Formats: sequence, C-alpha cells, structure tokens
Amino acid sequence: MELLSQISFNLQNGFDETVAALTKEAVEKQIPPDEILNNGLIAGMNAVGEKFKNHEVFLPDVLLAARAMNSAMEVLKPLLIKGGIPIKGKVVIGSVKDDLHDIGKNLVAILLKGAGFEVIDLGNDVPAEKFIRIASEENADVIGMSALLTTTMPVMKEVVDMAKTEGLYGRVRIMVGGAPVSKEYALEIGADAYSYDGANAVETVESFFSKDS
Amino acid sequence: MRLIVDFAQEDIKLLQKEILRSQGIPDKAELSENFEKIYGEAIKLFQELAKPKGIITGVTISRFEEVFRGEGLNEKENPVEEIYRKSSYIALFAVTLGSVLSEKVTELFDNGDYADGYMLDSVSSYAADKLTYLAAKHLQSEIADKETPTSSQRVLCYCPGYCGWHISGQKKLFEALRPEEIGITLNESCLMSPIKSVSGVLIAGPGKIHEFVNSYPFCNTCTARTCIKRMQNLKQG
Ligand code: B12
Ligand code: SF4
Repeated sequence: MELLSQISFNLQNGFDETVAALTKEAVEKQIPPDEILNNGLIAGMNAVGEKFKNHEVFLPDVLLAARAMNSAMEVLKPLLIKGGIPIKGKVVIGSVKDDLHDIGKNLVAILLKGAGFEVIDLGNDVPAEKFIRIASEENADVIGMSALLTTTMPVMKEVVDMAKTEGLYGRVRIMVGGAPVSKEYALEIGADAYSYDGANAVETVESFFSKDS
Repeated sequence: MRLIVDFAQEDIKLLQKEILRSQGIPDKAELSENFEKIYGEAIKLFQELAKPKGIITGVTISRFEEVFRGEGLNEKENPVEEIYRKSSYIALFAVTLGSVLSEKVTELFDNGDYADGYMLDSVSSYAADKLTYLAAKHLQSEIADKETPTSSQRVLCYCPGYCGWHISGQKKLFEALRPEEIGITLNESCLMSPIKSVSGVLIAGPGKIHEFVNSYPFCNTCTARTCIKRMQNLKQG
C-alpha cells in the first residue's frame, strides 16, 4: 500500500503511534507536508466522517482517529508553518461564563482540529470579554460558544453585542451550540450559525470558508 | 425526615443497550473492537471512581408550594402543579456521583484520550439519571415502613428545568434542601457542581396521580418525552 494510503488507513483505525511513525517516514521521504496532510491525514478523517454518517462507526471511533490525527500534526505542524502553508482557518471556542460543562465543546474542538482547522480552546467559564479579546488578538475567523443550561445562554448574546461594538461582527463568524440552544435562538441573538453536534459544526465552519472563497 | 444515603454502586444497573442508545447508537449496530474495548474500560473506571450519594428531605405540601413557586418563572400550567396537591408525601432530593468522575473525564481529555473521556462521561451521565430512580425507590421503602403503610404508593421524581418547572427553581430548592451537606453546590446560573448531579422533588401517592396528558404548550418543542415511558412504567407496576 502506498505510504499516504497507509497513513489514511491507520488513522481510520485509530492507530495513533503508527500514524505518527508513518508521517515521520513520509517527511523523511520528502513528501511535501501539505500532501501528507491532505492526501493522508485529512483523507483518513474524511473517510471516518463518511462512515460515521452512515452509522458504520460511532463517535468513539471518530475520536480515536482524531487522536491519531493530532499525533501526526505534532510532526507536521512545524513544517507547515515553516513552509508558509496557510492554515484552513482559526476557531476560538469555549463554554460560556458560569458554564462548567465542557464535554460537548471539547468534542466540537477535537472534530474541528481533525478537519484541519486551528482551534484555540479557552476552556469553560469563559466571560464574554475574553472571547472577544482572544479572537481579536489571534485574528480568529470563528468564535464558537457552548452552553449546557438556558441560564448561561445570555452570555452568547453579550458576545455578539460586544463583537458589534468592537468591530468584529461580520468579520469573525459566531457559532453557538449546546443542549438548550437552538437555531431560532442563534437567529434571535444575531449569531451566524447554530450546530446541533460536532459533525454538523465541522460542516458549518467549512461552509463559512466556502462562502468566503 | 432528612436522610443521607450512600447508594450501593451495584444497584445502578449499567445497561449497555441503554447507554449506547443515549449516544444515538442503534440497537443492532455492529461495534468495532476498539469501541468494545473503550466501553469496557469506561465501565471499569466508573466502578472504581463513582461515589453515588443522595440527600432526601421530607416537606409539607405548603412548604413545597413555596419552593415550587421559585422565582415565579414556571409555565402557568404544568404537570407538577397538577400532581403535588394530590400527593401523600413529598420530599426534596439531590443525588450525585461525586466530582472524581468528572475530574477523570477532564484528565482523559487533557491527555488526548478523547474516546475514553467521552465514553466515561456518557456512562456517568446515564448513571446520574439512574440515581434518581434509586432515590425514589429509597423513599418508597422508607414511607412504606413508617409514614404511609400502603403498597400502592408510587414515588416519581420531577426536576427543575423539565416540564414547565423553570430551572431558576433550583435556588429555592437548594435553600430548602441544603445539599451542600453532601457536596453539591449551586452557582449563580443554577448550575450544580459536581456536574453529574440531579435535584428535584420526589412525589409519593397512588399511581394515578402521576398520570397526565402531555399536551402543554411547551410539549410541542420537547424532544425528551420522558413522561411517556414513566407513565408506561407506572401502568406496568
Ligand atoms: C445527559 C444530560 C444530563 C446528565 C449529565 C449532564 C452533563 N452534560 O454532564 C445529568 C443527568 C447529570 C443531567 C443533569 C441535569 N440536567 Co440535563 N441533560 C442531559 C441531556 C439528556 C444530554 C446532555 C449531554 O450531556 N449531551 C451529550 C454531550 C456530549 O452533548 P452536548 O453537551 O449537548 O454537546 C453537543 C451539542 O450540543 C453540540 N455543541 C455543544 N457545544 C457546542 C458549541 C458549539 C460552538 C457548537 C457549534 C456545537 C456545540 O455538539 C456537541 C457534540 O455533539 C440534555 C438534553 C439533550 N438531549 O441534550 C439534558 C439537559 C441539558 N438537562 C437539563 C436539566 C434541566 C438538567 C438539570 C438541571 C436537572 C436537575 N434539576 O437536576 C441537571 C443539571 C446538572 C447540573 N450539573 O447543574 C435541561 C436543560 C434545560 C434548561 N433550561 O437549561 C436539558 C436540555 C433537558 C431538557 N429539559 O430538555 N443532565
Ligand atoms: S412531552 Fe416533554 S415537556 Fe411535555 S410533559 Fe412530557 S417530558 Fe415533559
């Protein structure tokens, strides 16, 4: 099997150490880093994503693949940066102020990383001002916010309003999610999008960039 | 009555099919070897780390009325309103699995063991929900022994944040129950710590009082529809 196909195959099966070793081997064989990324790693993640959609594999399998992707990215990232290869997009994500539940947000972050986006995870209990400050400092493309209860959801509106006053609105896309959040709520507060799960969040972020190009 | 209960962990029946259903996995799905391994490890970790505990405090109907009124944000018509006045016994309750489990989930995520973290979180969420049944069972046996010696008593739980009882109701509930005694705290936004905790009211009375028609305006947007299964279980005894 060709090296990049081997990377893709092992990634799909969650063999993280093998994926990292094969990625090193590919680098040593002078395969360009963006080719390793696109035709090995992302190809593997896309295949897992497809199987996930068809109920052939389930979230834990996708998460194993994501871990393998991360271990390969540790090898590849310095080379991508050095080669000036542009990242797909930057997402700042967090659970809003007072919200200590972060599993949903973590899953979204992992899947976005798996799809090749750079993710800055602010953790949980994140105040509105911090979302705006970090998004601005990091020149982020997307802000993602998560909430477990309706009682913490108002912070999402605070962030949208602050993005307007700070001149980020429209330039930085704002995406919301979490158990009590809905499409209607996203619309009401002026967020750009709502996603009901991690896979949908990846599709949504991808759509931001395809609309932009 | 004020009880603090250490639940036996083996009493929480961890049914694989139900846990997988809560993850949206169909019953007949074929699971990968990796998946089975991760599931097995999560069950082991859960058994090692879960510290199921509960607190149950009996209250009068008028005291509950006050608690239930909360911050005045409940839906005007709701099932709890219809049920509690017909009850024979009411107790406030809170249950928790402790904080060690959630800390372990965070640790697994931080170490990049996402699949293990997710599975342990999912098993814990399922178990926290199951704990409410154990609390109800516990109260049922307590009141059958002492206060209301009838075998037809059925105890069901109702929780703020569900079925028209506004989540802000947690504030008055906490004031009356004081579950801090077993380590459960509430923040300004009504979120409990540890995360894997549930609070609410246990209402005892003849099975019939728990039956209602689920056609409240807020039922239109409800995806949980847990009332249906609860009422079916009541009829099955
Ligand atoms: C499992 C569960 C529990 C478990 C575990 C909680 C936990 N999350 O750890 C237990 C049994 C402990 C529990 C307790 C309670 N719960 Co509860 N719970 C749920 C349930 C069924 C699933 C939530 C969950 O964990 N899902 C799995 C995780 C992985 O998914 P997730 O966090 O939603 O994230 C996914 C998506 O939302 C999305 N997403 C998340 N964040 C983001 C961010 C971005 C940017 C994007 C794009 C997408 C995205 O992608 C994620 C991955 O797929 C929901 C209802 C539901 N169907 O969603 C109610 C729900 C959240 N609970 C609810 C309530 C009321 C409670 C309690 C207050 C009940 C009580 N009185 O005790 C307590 C509160 C607990 C606390 N600590 O304060 C309500 C909240 C209603 C409200 N008004 O806010 C809900 C919505 C149920 C309902 N009534 O409809 N709960
Ligand atoms: S349909 Fe949903 S909201 Fe309505 S009573 Fe049943 S569980 Fe509660």
